Amino acid sequence: MGTPRLELSGVSKSYESGEQSVEVLHEVSLCAEAGTVTALVGRSGCGKSTLLNLAGAMDFPTAGEVRIDGRSTASLSDGELTALRRERVGFVFQAFQLLPTLTVLENVELPLLLAGAAKTAATAMDRLRWVGLEEKAASMPYQLSGGQAQRVAVARALVHSPLLLIADEPTGNLDEASGEQVLSLLREAATRYGAAILMATHSAEAAAIAEVRVRMRDGRIQAIERQ
Amino acid sequence: MKLLRTLILRPLRRDLLRTALTILAVALGVAVVVAIDLAGDAATGSFRSSMQTLTGKTDLEVIATGGIDERKLAALVALPFDVHFAPLMEAQAIVAGIGAVPLYGADLAGAPEGLAVSKGLAGRLGGGKSVTLEIAGRTHALAVGQTLDSGGEFLVLDLAEAQRVMGRYGKLDRIDITVGAKEDFARVEAAIRGALPVSALLEKPGARSEENQRMLRAFRWNLRVLSYISLVVGAFLIYNTISVSVVRRRAEIGILRAMGAARSTVMGLFLAEALLFGVVGAALGVALGRILAGGAVRLIADTVNALYTTSRPAALELTAGEVCAGIVMGAMVALGSALGPAREAMDVAPVEAMSRGAREHRARLSWRRGLVWAAVLAGLALGASQAEATGGYPVGGYVAALLAIGAAALAAPALVLGVNRITKPLVRRQVYGLLAGRSLTASLGRTSVIVAALATAIAMMASVGIMVASFRETVALWLDTQLRADLYVKPAGQSAAGEYPALAGEVQGLLRATYGAAAVDFFHGVPLHFRGERATLGAGDMEVVRRYGRLLFLAGQDRDAILRSLPGRDRALVSEPFANKHHLRAGDRVTIPMGEQVVTLTIAGVYYEYSSSQGYLIVDRSTLLKYLPGQAATNAAIYLAKGADREAVLRDVQLRTAAYGVTVSPNQVLRKSAIEIFDRTFAITWALEAVAIVVAMLGAANSLLALVLDRRRELGILRYLGASAAQVRGMILTEAAFLGLLAILLGLALGFALSLLLVFVVNKQSFGWTIQFHAPWGLLGAALCAVWFVTVVAGLYPARVAARLEPVDVVHEE
Repeated sequence: MGTPRLELSGVSKSYESGEQSVEVLHEVSLCAEAGTVTALVGRSGCGKSTLLNLAGAMDFPTAGEVRIDGRSTASLSDGELTALRRERVGFVFQAFQLLPTLTVLENVELPLLLAGAAKTAATAMDRLRWVGLEEKAASMPYQLSGGQAQRVAVARALVHSPLLLIADEPTGNLDEASGEQVLSLLREAATRYGAAILMATHSAEAAAIAEVRVRMRDGRIQAIERQ
Repeated sequence: MKLLRTLILRPLRRDLLRTALTILAVALGVAVVVAIDLAGDAATGSFRSSMQTLTGKTDLEVIATGGIDERKLAALVALPFDVHFAPLMEAQAIVAGIGAVPLYGADLAGAPEGLAVSKGLAGRLGGGKSVTLEIAGRTHALAVGQTLDSGGEFLVLDLAEAQRVMGRYGKLDRIDITVGAKEDFARVEAAIRGALPVSALLEKPGARSEENQRMLRAFRWNLRVLSYISLVVGAFLIYNTISVSVVRRRAEIGILRAMGAARSTVMGLFLAEALLFGVVGAALGVALGRILAGGAVRLIADTVNALYTTSRPAALELTAGEVCAGIVMGAMVALGSALGPAREAMDVAPVEAMSRGAREHRARLSWRRGLVWAAVLAGLALGASQAEATGGYPVGGYVAALLAIGAAALAAPALVLGVNRITKPLVRRQVYGLLAGRSLTASLGRTSVIVAALATAIAMMASVGIMVASFRETVALWLDTQLRADLYVKPAGQSAAGEYPALAGEVQGLLRATYGAAAVDFFHGVPLHFRGERATLGAGDMEVVRRYGRLLFLAGQDRDAILRSLPGRDRALVSEPFANKHHLRAGDRVTIPMGEQVVTLTIAGVYYEYSSSQGYLIVDRSTLLKYLPGQAATNAAIYLAKGADREAVLRDVQLRTAAYGVTVSPNQVLRKSAIEIFDRTFAITWALEAVAIVVAMLGAANSLLALVLDRRRELGILRYLGASAAQVRGMILTEAAFLGLLAILLGLALGFALSLLLVFVVNKQSFGWTIQFHAPWGLLGAALCAVWFVTVVAGLYPARVAARLEPVDVVHEE
């Protein structure tokens, strides 16, 4: 068994809607380990994205505890949470979310720049080489195809060697071939960089690369399957 | 209408703060124009004397250089016509606790003895039985005889008493003439002209008022042009706001077009948005302008009093016509500024689905074209600046200024890209710098507009600053050459430009006997009406001026020879503004009325002079007294002998002239007071500059806020990638600082070009002065630092909004 990078214990999340409280996650417990891919599967609205936001320290649970690399997010200040994300968490989004004003290389470099790291360009170039887009370093995001943009997003998410990589429908906007490329990169990221990968997906192909599949329904975990 | 409500009005309501900022910018722009117009009218439109209001209808009036001999009145009255002649004298009296009030001498036969006080003034005097007033340095306590049922504030004395109080015997300032209804007007006029000396001016009433208005036209015109600066800056902001509106609603426009909306409908929608900003902003602006006018009227009146003539501000009148004109002006400016972006909206193809990146890329490619057009406009500006004045107005200069502003605006994208490229290696080390620089160049179109708006305001500030500093420096240097005497003596009390209270006759004798004086020069100032313009006929002892003074003549003119040629001959000097205004050169001949004669004088030389844009015509004292015998001196300059103790002489002169109401000032005091007057006259200019800067700052805040709201998803992503709230805030503030820096660079370049136009074209053509160029680098540097600081402050609120965005919400909202 690998080192747990992310632990969710009895996590619930509710939102106030007028006078009513709507619970979108109900007592979810989960663990993502280093070097493994965990896939969250389930219909739209089952709570996958909410769970990813809690797991990525972007939001706080109403009840329960989220621990990243052993640290409870509830006990951290805003600044400490930012530092935690900056150093230990990477994100990949369905819509790529590259910054349109920066070049490809600068997009990849950005997490390092925000952290005030040294040798940012060299590290970013190394990640770009890894995703096979070294020659696109000076391009602008709008000059990339969808698949290329998502590969850049994966490079960006891994540039600071995070312990935990959160991926929200990473193949949702891609054709099959591009989707496969991205999935193999994610798979390799887990093995090569030792990151714990938590991925929400509708796609069976995406779920197939995961060691752990978490089936969700109506904000609850229905089943956890390991292979 | 429904489209307007859903596509335009609803988003405006959602973006209430930005809507308010845009409306406020328009409101301030319109307010300044309205305020200056209203205040200008009030401060300069009240030349029709209160006495004219009192005496009622007048058909003709007689004036003469140096006054009209009162014995001429008898000849006029003897004319066999049904004509009424009203002799008048006029002076400014200082009433304790109230200030300068017009004092008239008139024929009050049959009226109660004593001072007649207008009803308006009587109220302020509190019903006292006597009034203490100071005139030409002397204090008089006069009993109040009656209250006149007339508006305005003035005092009237019977002629004989007025002559005594004013110290001017035997001379009248004006004769008002009313011709009987049954008389043949032309015949009467001819007969009156025949009875008067050839030197007297017989004019229709209103001629003097027109003369005053003419005298002030350049001043008012330039002030009015300055007041349009804020509106120009506001126009940039409306352009920016509508551009943002079009960019944001591109997808909606595409859908509308796909659903069958005509191009004209789309264009109309955005023009309607601009019209809304224009009309609401202008309506607020008119109201605000009325309030601001209250403050501006005092500043303008001060300038008019110091530089031109006595002006008592009239009541501010905001007519329905002016309200409509203000609103129409706001609406037109808004529509004109929105035309470009609205046309862009019209051209959005129904199927257009371009990403912002690609669109901005296209914008980046067009910077070269902008630069070429900027060069074309700059060339045209250079051409326009060479044009002669049109009807006395520096039209070419102002057209050149507008073209230069256009050139700067078109060069803005190239500057943004250029500076970004140069600073790239520098800012790349700091993540704020990288993101801010990229963000600004990515939104090139928008960044350029806000840089151009800010730069225009900064350029105006810098150029007017340079112009005023150059003028001030020139005046200071000129004062050094002009004020060579050690002591100056003049009647005590205030007197406006164009007024020459006389020194008491006894003073002349006393001053001549001053122990320690090497020479005393008596100056005589007499109001002169020349070719429909006002000027001053002056006279002094040219031999004293030659020996002790340092009068500076235009290049190539021999000072010594010129001054030697004046005594005893009909020769004159003219000041530079007088020469420019009337197109005169050394050697030309001018004809002026003096006393009872019309005298032809040869211009011996043109000298530099900066105290009056109306100008001086100077003759030797002997020449003046030949034609105007007994004309009193109005001030005196005392040159001390070598080794004389100035303090001792000053005290001695003060002691000996104490009974005659004069002020004795050392050279330095006079110089200081001249500079103080100069500074006061430019106060209104600075106020206008400040408003333009405020409008530009509103624009900067507005623009940054738009950038923040447009990029909220990107800002959310940054937070996901590990940016702290402080880093996001820092990034927006860095953008503000970048904007300020770019605007300062462009503003300085433009400001320098505009200052050359102001100094060498506009000033020369408007006022006739040659000004030495002098840039106040220290002051400019401090002002620009302040502007930069305020630009960063303008980014505080947008930065706060950016830092408080909820990343989860904004990233998932699209």
